[in-house]
Amino acid sequence: MVVDIDASREGRQPHFAVLEAISKEVQVPVTFGGGIASVALARRALESGADKIALTTTALDRPDLIDDAAHAFGAQAVVLGLDLVWRDGVLRLYDHRLRGTVDRPNPVEWVKEAVSRGVGEIRVMAVDREGVREGFDVPLYASIRELTDVPIILEGGAGNLTHIAEAMKAGVDSVGLGTLLVFSDNNLVKVRRFLEGAGLPMRP
Amino acid sequence: MNVTIVDYGAGNLRSVYQAFFLAGADPVTSNDPDVVRRAERVVLPGVGAAGAALEALRARDLDAALDDVRHVGRPILGICLGLQMMADEVQEFGTHRGLGWMRGKVARIPSDGNIRVPHMGWSPVDVTERGHDLIGSSAKDRNFYFCHSNRLYADRDVAAATVAYGEPFTVAVQFESIFAVQFHPEKSQLAGQRFIKRFLDWAP
Repeated sequence: MVVDIDASREGRQPHFAVLEAISKEVQVPVTFGGGIASVALARRALESGADKIALTTTALDRPDLIDDAAHAFGAQAVVLGLDLVWRDGVLRLYDHRLRGTVDRPNPVEWVKEAVSRGVGEIRVMAVDREGVREGFDVPLYASIRELTDVPIILEGGAGNLTHIAEAMKAGVDSVGLGTLLVFSDNNLVKVRRFLEGAGLPMRP
Repeated sequence: MNVTIVDYGAGNLRSVYQAFFLAGADPVTSNDPDVVRRAERVVLPGVGAAGAALEALRARDLDAALDDVRHVGRPILGICLGLQMMADEVQEFGTHRGLGWMRGKVARIPSDGNIRVPHMGWSPVDVTERGHDLIGSSAKDRNFYFCHSNRLYADRDVAAATVAYGEPFTVAVQFESIFAVQFHPEKSQLAGQRFIKRFLDWAP
């Protein structure tokens, strides 16, 4: 998952050269997001080596973009980015361009609409947990899970390996790791070994 | 070894190119039917929506070129949509006439609520007699990366591998000089590299 986090905020095109350099090095599926405001930009991301594109604010601005991208590249290539926060026990969408929550759409309605328009995967980000290392927001995952059967990746909050095991045991499909890998002495070999030890099935 | 990867605007062209390059082949990408006709080995990649892909192939006369390659018996590898397009009929945002190289149709994976659709991530496959040339029997060799919403409903006698994802279904076929897979060897790390090397040595 590679996101050009300033592209939408700055209203510019994403940095495709970085994506190209990354996809030359890695042989894992790459999802690219940030500033993909048209099918032409989505195509450019896929041509630059992405396997999937993630639409967050660009889909909120123009929901049709989901239909267009799914028709052109297939639903499996279209990931919905969902930045969420809890406010007084109610789920709200967070718009990082405004650095605050938005009233509309309602997250529940938005998930249903996006899936019916052709989203094939959802990346759920618990914005308030980002980088705080307190553990994943499993209830947040559960509230999106009951709306759809597309795969969901939960992001935000992993501070140690136990947090990952807890989320997986609670039934989370997949988790996104950022801080945990970058700013601590962890790597994927260690993560896999730990999860295996915790009794979770890992691929051979 | 000259390997021509058919370029009709498919999503995973670059990663397929990179994987063949790393496997020691001399890959070229081309949308020229004559280059495809002269190729020693042909790869038909594909991520995307089937209707648009079939249209693009036909618009460039690549369907006829592929037919010629097939009739002279040179090896062809289909990946993901490359496999799906070989069927008679593909249902995805409408019904499309496939290349018709094998009996069968492609339609959405039925979801019973217990599995996620799209099918994304790593799954072990079960190899049949027809699959042993290209897919090894060890657990490590049979684990591949998938990313698809639609599956093949084909004659059992062409099946080279199946996956148990909900109801088991065919994820690889072998007939004539053709091997085609639903999974992504170019994203399947070491198992994928071994698969690609075997395809390069394959004498159907």
